Parts: sequence; C-alpha cells; structure tokens
Amino acid sequence: MQLSSLLLAGKGKSLTSLFSLLYLILFLPACIVGYTLTPKKWKKYFLLLASYGFFWLISGELVIYLIISTFSVHYFGIWIDRLSGQMKAQLAELPKEQRKQAKAGFVKKQRGVVTLAAVLHIGLLLVLKYSPFFTTNVNTLLNKLGLSVSLEIPKYLMPIGISFFTLQAVSYIVDVYRGVIKADGDLLRLALFMSFFPQIIEGPICRYSETAEQLWNVKPIEYRNLTFGLQRILFGMLKKVVVADRLNLLVSAVFDTKNNYQGGIIAIGAVCYTVQLYMDFSGSMDAVVGTAQIFGITMPENFKRPFFSKTISEFWKRWHISLGAWFRDYIFYPVTTAKKMKKLTSSARKKLGNHYGPLVAGSIALFCVWFCNGLWHGSAWSFIFFGMYHFALILIGNMLEPPVQAVNKKLHIDPKRFWYRLLQIIRTCVLVVIGELFFRARGLRAGLDLFKRMVTDFSFSTLDNRLLKTLHADRYDFAIVGVTLLIIFVVSVLNEKGVCIRESLSKKHVVIRWAVLYALLLYIIIFGAYGLGYKPVDPMYAQY
Amino acid sequence: MERLIEILEDIQPDVDYASCTDLIDGHYLSSLAIISLIAELEEEYDITVPAVEIVPDNFNSAERIMKMIERLQEEY
Repeated sequence: MQLSSLLLAGKGKSLTSLFSLLYLILFLPACIVGYTLTPKKWKKYFLLLASYGFFWLISGELVIYLIISTFSVHYFGIWIDRLSGQMKAQLAELPKEQRKQAKAGFVKKQRGVVTLAAVLHIGLLLVLKYSPFFTTNVNTLLNKLGLSVSLEIPKYLMPIGISFFTLQAVSYIVDVYRGVIKADGDLLRLALFMSFFPQIIEGPICRYSETAEQLWNVKPIEYRNLTFGLQRILFGMLKKVVVADRLNLLVSAVFDTKNNYQGGIIAIGAVCYTVQLYMDFSGSMDAVVGTAQIFGITMPENFKRPFFSKTISEFWKRWHISLGAWFRDYIFYPVTTAKKMKKLTSSARKKLGNHYGPLVAGSIALFCVWFCNGLWHGSAWSFIFFGMYHFALILIGNMLEPPVQAVNKKLHIDPKRFWYRLLQIIRTCVLVVIGELFFRARGLRAGLDLFKRMVTDFSFSTLDNRLLKTLHADRYDFAIVGVTLLIIFVVSVLNEKGVCIRESLSKKHVVIRWAVLYALLLYIIIFGAYGLGYKPVDPMYAQY
Repeated sequence: MERLIEILEDIQPDVDYASCTDLIDGHYLSSLAIISLIAELEEEYDITVPAVEIVPDNFNSAERIMKMIERLQEEY
C-alpha cells in the first residue's frame, strides 16, 4: 500500500517526515519551547499532549486506533496482573505438593487472556493490512478453478505506524504475563509509552521496560542533551536529504518504469536502492534518537553499522535491531522452547549430533520468524519471498558452518585475518543487495525478471550520458553521493571502534565545534536534494 | 554442578566451564547450543525454562546456569 493512500484521512503529509520543514521549523521547536515553559510536574503531560497532537496531525481521526489499542493493553495488563496476584495468594496457602497443579490452572487462565489480547491486536492488524491481499489471492484461485465468483476487495484506512505500535502493545502484554514488568495502573503513562511522537512513525519498537519510566520521569532540557540531540538529527538529515533523496529518481527509474535496462544498470539500481533504504531508515532513526535525547530520553539504537556484517545472521542483528529482537523474544524462543520442540531437539541431537540436531527445531522456528518478518513488511508475495530468501540464507549459513570450519582448518586459513573478513563482508553485502532488489521490485514477477536480466545480461555498455539522463542522474549526483557516503563511512568506522564523535567534538574549542556544525549544515543546504527537479522519498518504513 | 558441566561438555566441548564467565558474550555457546542445553536441563532437573529466562545473564557461566536451575526448582 502506498503511503499516499494511507494518508487519505491524514491532515498533514509533510509532518510524516522528521526532516520536513514543518516538523523541524515549527513542530519540534514549539515542543521544545512549550516543554521548557511547562512546570516540571506537568512536563510528562505536555509530552503526551504533543504526541497525540502529532499523531492527530498525521493520521486525523485514525488516532482512534491508537486510543483503542492503549485502552485495550491497559486493561488486559491489569487483568493478567490480577490473576498473578490471585495465584500467589492462593498458592501460599497450599501445601507444596499441591502448588504445581494449582499453578498450572492459573497459568492456563493467564495464557488464555494473553492469547485473546494478541489475537485482538494482531487480528486487527491482519484485517487492516492483509485482507486486500488475501481476498485478491482468493479471487485469483477461484478464477483459476473456473468459478465466476469474485469477492469484493476490502479497502481500509490504516493509521501510520500501526505495525509498530501493535508490536509494542503485544510485547507489553506478553512481558506482563512473563513477569518481566508489572502491569501499569496509570493509563496516561502507558499512553505516553505507546504514542511518544518521534518513534510513532517508524519505530524503534520499544519495550515498556526500556522507555516507559524514562518518558514519565522526564527532566528539564539540558544544554548537552539539546546540542547532542540536534547534532544527531543533523547527521540523520545528511543521510536522508543528501543521499536517500538524491537517489530517489534513479531508483524509481530502474524499478518503476518499463525501460529494459541492462543487467549492470539494474545492479546499480539495486545497490542504490539498498543505500537509499539504509540512509532513509537509519537517518530517520538518528532523528528519533536525537529528538528523544533533547528531552533527556535514551531510545534503543535500531542500527549498528549493518554493512560491516560478516554473515546474513549478523546483518539482521545490526539492521532494524528492535524488530529482530521482537521476533527473537516473542516468536523464535517461544517456538524453540515449546514442549514438542524440546523433545524434537533432544531426539534429533542424539541422531544428528550437536550442530545439526538443534538445527531441526531451530529451522522450524526460523521459518516462522522469517515468514512473519516478510509479511510484516508488506502484504505481497514479494515480501514473503524476501522473508524466505533470508530464511534460506541463514539456514544454509548454519548448515555450511561445520564443513567451512573443517576446510579452513585443513587449509590453515585463519578466519580472523583481515582479507577473510573483508571477503565475508563483501559476500554479505552482495546477498543483501539481491534481497533488496526483490524487496523494492513492484511485485515478485517484476523482481524475478529484474534478477534474471541482472544475471544474464550483466553489462554496462549502454551506460553513457544519454542513459544517465533517463536515470535522472549525472556525474555530479554520483560525486555528491560518493563523497557523502565516504564521510558516513569514516564516521561508521570510528563508531565501530568505539569512538563517539559528538563526545570528541564537545571537547574541542568552541570555534572548531561551531565551524564543524556550520560546515555540516551548509553541506546539507548546498548538496541536499530538494526543490525543483527532485522528489524526496517518503519515510520508507512508515508504510510497513 | 558436576553433572551440569558434563551436560555442557557434551553439548559444546573444549570450553573450560569451571572458569569461563562469558559463555554467551564470548560466543562460546551458540543459539543452537542453548536450544540443546535447555532441552537437556529440563529433562535432567525436572524444570521448565521459559523463554523469558533466555538472557545472557542466566547463561554466561556454569554457576549462573546452576543458580537459574535452583531458582526454577524453587518456584512452585
């Protein structure tokens, strides 16, 4: 579904980007001023009001979904907590030998409540997001069976960010059930956790234990937090406005037009899209983390330099970390620790050994994770394919681990050597780019066609100035993107080595500090892709 | 403790379980090894290890694993 259609009921599309002028010049400064002027004990309510105001501006009356979701998790949480209290009181009065059985009864009740809550929340998401996809496929099947029946394809308006706040809501309920957190009796505190404005569009998917208390016990704005936060937003802006937006027309030309580009040009398009997606999403996360920091709140990081990963498995621990962690904690572990799966692990280990034995149950859980991951990104076969592609890569990686180790040992290859790790990183990047080609293509068939042409007709012979014109790009664009990526690469290498650039900069002389910041701002103003002839990319993850 | 170390050595040999305190953070135990370990612990100690217990802190050393087992055995 396109972002524009999601916004039919929205009031202000430009607010959906944390880099829009409306947000940066009006909304954020107004929030900072309003927050500063608000007395300390009312600051949290100001943040809640600002968050709901923001959501109203981007989603209009669809804010009702967020309100219902918040009320729902609030009462489900209290219900589960009440059952826990009853269980503890009753078990304390029973002799030890009767406790296990009594506990099982309560746990069964609690599980029923958690299941009901999860079904309601995920079910709503499924209906809103996937029923058109499901109905279309049913119609195709009916048509193939020769039946002249056709179901009406439903059209729903979805609020932006529903995929994010639904996962946050489910994690809250499950964490209360698991005893990780106590149910929140304060509806407003829970409402702020669910709606905090910088993260509502594209995440990160926070856990209640990570942010709820911080948000509620907000502090006055400090100079250090303000400057560090603004610097982080500025860095995100560099990624988004200079790189992601500049590549938008080129990517669009390769993926959205019917020009039959050569394989080499498709490969350039796929690489540019991968770079664009990373710059857009991680840039937005910089803005989220930076905005939160202004208010003294530490948000979890969603990216840790994913293109330095040596394996696909590692890549997904560094890319969209909060989503991966959600799938790990609420799908992978529950599946692998289910009773039948544990039995399967024990018996398979006896037959297949220490590596391949647990891989049997592990691969079933991985399949569930990657099927859901693909589907979470969108209701289309191309997204399911994307999930299955990564499932296959991770599974193959796991299966090949013992023979690769044996070959390395035999040939005396040290996997810690720089060139070996570099080759691993290059291989991972190539595999990621192929996956993103399918992710961006307009449907699975288009993706397969692009991939086929990329492999069978891999050549750059048609790449000249005339072709660059059809791609809406010239040497100037490539030079700007190249230099900016180099700057971001240097920053990433330093971050990877544990250097915090903002920290180092803050220790420099005031003239140097401001000179660097002005230089960065000027760089964005001069080389940013905005105005006539450019088409800024909508926040890419907002539509998921 | 001895039995626990035997189980660990059976799943992942060549690690000094008596002294190692970063089994997870040091990548000595992979996620596959953890899956096997949980299945074995449940069978051996008659406990249930819920998903919420699968955090590095509970699995970083044999001592931590033993503490988790004792805690889960105590729970009614």
